[in-house]
Amino acid sequence: MRLDRVLAIAKKNLRSLKHDRRTAGFLVAMPLLMITIFGYTFGGDVTNLDVYVINLDSAPADESIATAIIASLASRDTMDIVRSFGPQDNGALALGEQKVRDAKIWAVIIFNETFSQDVANMSSHIGTLPAAIRVVIDGTNPNIVQTIFNDLQLSIRAVLGAQAVTLPIVVLPDLVYGEGAEFIDFFAPGVMGLAALMVTFMLSIISFVHERTASTLDRLLSTPATEGEIVAGYALAFGLVGLIQSIVILSTAILLFDIQIVGNALLALFVIFIFGIGNQGLGFLLSSVAKNELQAVQFIPLMLFPSILLSGVFWPIEAVPDFLRPISYFIPLTYTVEGCRSVMIRGWGAGDIWLQIVVLLAFATIMLALSTYGLKRRR
Amino acid sequence: MSESKSQKGGRTLASTKGVTEWTIRAEKLRKEFDGIVAVNDLDLKIGRGLLYGMIGPNGSGKTTTIKMLVGLLRSTSGNAWVLGEKIPARNNIARLGYMPQEMAIYSDLTIHENIELFGELYSMGKEALGKSERELLKMVDLYDRRDSLVSTLSGGMKHRVSLACALVHDPEVVFLDEPTVGVDPELRVGFWKYFSELRTKGKTIVLTTHYMDEAVRCDAVGMMRTGDLIAEGSPRSLMEATKTSDLESAFLAYARRSVT
Repeated sequence: MRLDRVLAIAKKNLRSLKHDRRTAGFLVAMPLLMITIFGYTFGGDVTNLDVYVINLDSAPADESIATAIIASLASRDTMDIVRSFGPQDNGALALGEQKVRDAKIWAVIIFNETFSQDVANMSSHIGTLPAAIRVVIDGTNPNIVQTIFNDLQLSIRAVLGAQAVTLPIVVLPDLVYGEGAEFIDFFAPGVMGLAALMVTFMLSIISFVHERTASTLDRLLSTPATEGEIVAGYALAFGLVGLIQSIVILSTAILLFDIQIVGNALLALFVIFIFGIGNQGLGFLLSSVAKNELQAVQFIPLMLFPSILLSGVFWPIEAVPDFLRPISYFIPLTYTVEGCRSVMIRGWGAGDIWLQIVVLLAFATIMLALSTYGLKRRR
Repeated sequence: MSESKSQKGGRTLASTKGVTEWTIRAEKLRKEFDGIVAVNDLDLKIGRGLLYGMIGPNGSGKTTTIKMLVGLLRSTSGNAWVLGEKIPARNNIARLGYMPQEMAIYSDLTIHENIELFGELYSMGKEALGKSERELLKMVDLYDRRDSLVSTLSGGMKHRVSLACALVHDPEVVFLDEPTVGVDPELRVGFWKYFSELRTKGKTIVLTTHYMDEAVRCDAVGMMRTGDLIAEGSPRSLMEATKTSDLESAFLAYARRSVT
């Protein structure tokens, strides 16, 4: 082996990178982007969960343990106490429960009339039943349930101090959705969306770049086939592939992991189908700015990582730092996952997820229209 | 403008024809890529039923001209009409056939699947498609391989599939970009025989080639060099005018003239 020849080969490869500025830039920018996004999403705690608090505790405010716990909760940023209710607010519980059911807030935290008394009795061994904090909570996302419970425990300890080895307070969960939901139930809709994203986007961008480089695109355009027809044909094919994938995932999840589907599985699949078509269009569109397969492949992680990390597939959107959260709302996967979860865990119908459906339809329409326009401009 | 139906089988280059009667006509057709002239104000008149050969070295503008005529490239300036319609002739597109220089067929499909795809893009009925496929595949000697994946074929075979795909819908005007590259001599003779047959059916064929020996079989040839049409006429007249005995020498003679 001769070093000069090895160096010559190495030089050649580096030189070709120099000619392909985009690939070179990508090699630097991609890890940067990855570490940045991973760092923020993993490092970040779930924050700003909207909750209601109903404090019925009859003890005077300056002695009320409930008031102290609420103050402690409010001092941290895990939960945002959107509204507080006292004993005089009739119907607060019904209102709160409705808000949880509509997924407007995550939980209602309720302290009963005898809360401070119960704590005192329990601490001095007069009573036998611990004081209870009842939490009406949306169980769609186990991660969020966990976070709220942890934060309550933190507050309880902060108020009672080190005295409490066995806490005289229990937190009683009252799940609105997701009764018995496990992480797999929460993940399944996310994985469906993610798979649809990967497959449709990759298939579309790579096969279309190939179509361009192999001149078959020109060949198609020299037939009566119009640009719109070509785009639609692609969308149909890859939309179906995405759909089939979702069906496979759904079936596996049901058979192997016994996931629960409260709502209509067909509605969830429909959401995935529109999403797949949109992604196909996006791949189509991006393929037009890629000169070769290598450049096309670079778009894949570029699309994938933000989607995985910021769309709530694994971590709730509430765990995304505030300054990144606007990006979450620009990622179509966010709406797909939210839509599918609402259907599969909350049992919602099409009318309840109209926002997600509209956003995804708009995404698909815009992508297909732009793809067609892009093809027309080629001539 | 409408094409002429009156000159059935006519093969003249005669300049007496009315402007509307040309199957293909170009006026100062020009294409520049980033300021580099690929086709330089080309004037072209090709009558119906003519077998017209464009000859010239790589980069002389043959492929660019064809791509403009089939509507894949927009001209920088100038005009052209195909079958009476100004390019890009979308209304007439089903009456045109095009075989690109690259083997623009799907290598992950079988021969049959490729032909079926193109037939269906021209909205052909099942029966007509089947008949046309059988005829063409026999002509290109690939009928027995019709269920083979294109990726398993040799380069020459792929070329033949590409030709079959271009002709499947029985087009009136056929543009063939280097149809005989990589085709063995025996089969090449068969190809030319087929082109002659098409011509007698009144089809107009425009093809490019750099095999000068086979260009002699054309009714007319246009010699292109660096975007210019340097000579045009029947092979015989071109050889006579340059006092040469073959087209290659004639081409070189014209090329020398165009430089000085």
